[in-house]
Amino acid sequence: MADSPIVGYAEALFSVAEAEGNLSAVEDELFGFAQTFQANEELRSTLADASVPVARRLQLIEDLLDGKASATTASLISMVVSAGRANDLPSIVDAFVDRSAGSRNKAVATVRSAIDLTGEQRQRLTEAIKTSTGKEVEVKVVIDPSVLGGAITEIGDDIIDGSVRRRLNQLRESFR
Amino acid sequence: MVASLVSLMSIVAFAGPASASGESIGACVAERFEEAEMLHDGHYHDWLEDVRNTVDDELEGCLDAPSPILPELTEIIWGGAAFLILLVIMVKKGFPAVKGAMDARSEKIRADLDAAEQAKTDAQTVQSDYEAQLADAKTESARIIEEARVTADQLRTDLSAQAEASIAEMREKAAADVEAQKAQAIADLRAEVSGIALGAAERVVQSSLDADAQARLIDAYIDEVTGSNG
Repeated sequence: MADSPIVGYAEALFSVAEAEGNLSAVEDELFGFAQTFQANEELRSTLADASVPVARRLQLIEDLLDGKASATTASLISMVVSAGRANDLPSIVDAFVDRSAGSRNKAVATVRSAIDLTGEQRQRLTEAIKTSTGKEVEVKVVIDPSVLGGAITEIGDDIIDGSVRRRLNQLRESFR
Repeated sequence: MVASLVSLMSIVAFAGPASASGESIGACVAERFEEAEMLHDGHYHDWLEDVRNTVDDELEGCLDAPSPILPELTEIIWGGAAFLILLVIMVKKGFPAVKGAMDARSEKIRADLDAAEQAKTDAQTVQSDYEAQLADAKTESARIIEEARVTADQLRTDLSAQAEASIAEMREKAAADVEAQKAQAIADLRAEVSGIALGAAERVVQSSLDADAQARLIDAYIDEVTGSNG
């Protein structure tokens, strides 16, 4: 359970995106930015560094998202960074995505894969998860080369691991 | 006793010769011999027979003299008077003095005997005390020696047990250390080998996983999720 400030920020982002009427696009863009933020150490340290002037950090966000995301997404990220919550951005976005999916009576299934899934694969996976767990889900794909092959799906606390990485780890364990 | 001796000497002194005429028996015999020799000059053997007969007759005359035991009356009177005087003196003066000296002597001897008896009793008491103390000391020393022996035995046993336990513990620890080091070495070696093998396998997998293989793996994964039921 996320702590209350994170849930509060997520609620604020959801309210703004819903009010702006582009919830789905903002959701995808925030999710994508959060993945980039987590993967990029330099970006993470710069946006979280209090010694860097806020104006410069905001300028950096604007430069990064220019032409790639909506103004609403850029504004919401700038708001979180300005509030000094840059380190909590991935958690806030996760809570936001959960809240957004919840508004449609769906859960979020985060799928980590070495390559992006095709639309057809996403559809089949959504159906497969529904068949397996009985939950309506929205699939969010995270590109993670360390998975090597296959995919890892996280739905809340449930994890379905069918990655090549897991098999290699099992092989490593069997050697011990 | 002294008084009795003095009385006897007085009696002998006052007795004198035992003849009635006042001459001794020897002088009487010699006188008879002289008279016989003058009568029988020149006829020795006859004379000698006559002498023998005469002497026998004359000696019988000598022996018929007054008793030498019974003194004359005057001697008895003087002797008795002296005896009585001496007896009185002795009874009055000598006997009490001698008796006092004897009594004192007896008393002193009795006191000395009592003192000696007391000393002997004291000595026996002291000896008894010493013997009792000696016995106590012997008992105490025996007890202390026994106690020390028991303590020494116990100490030796304890030390021996401790040493054995320590040795056993050290052996176990050494064996455990060796075993642990061996297991650690094997584990390290196995981890090293498996790391190398897995690194190689990972590189092979990465190089062999092209887009088609990745798509097939995703499809297989979706089928797996569909197949898993919860």
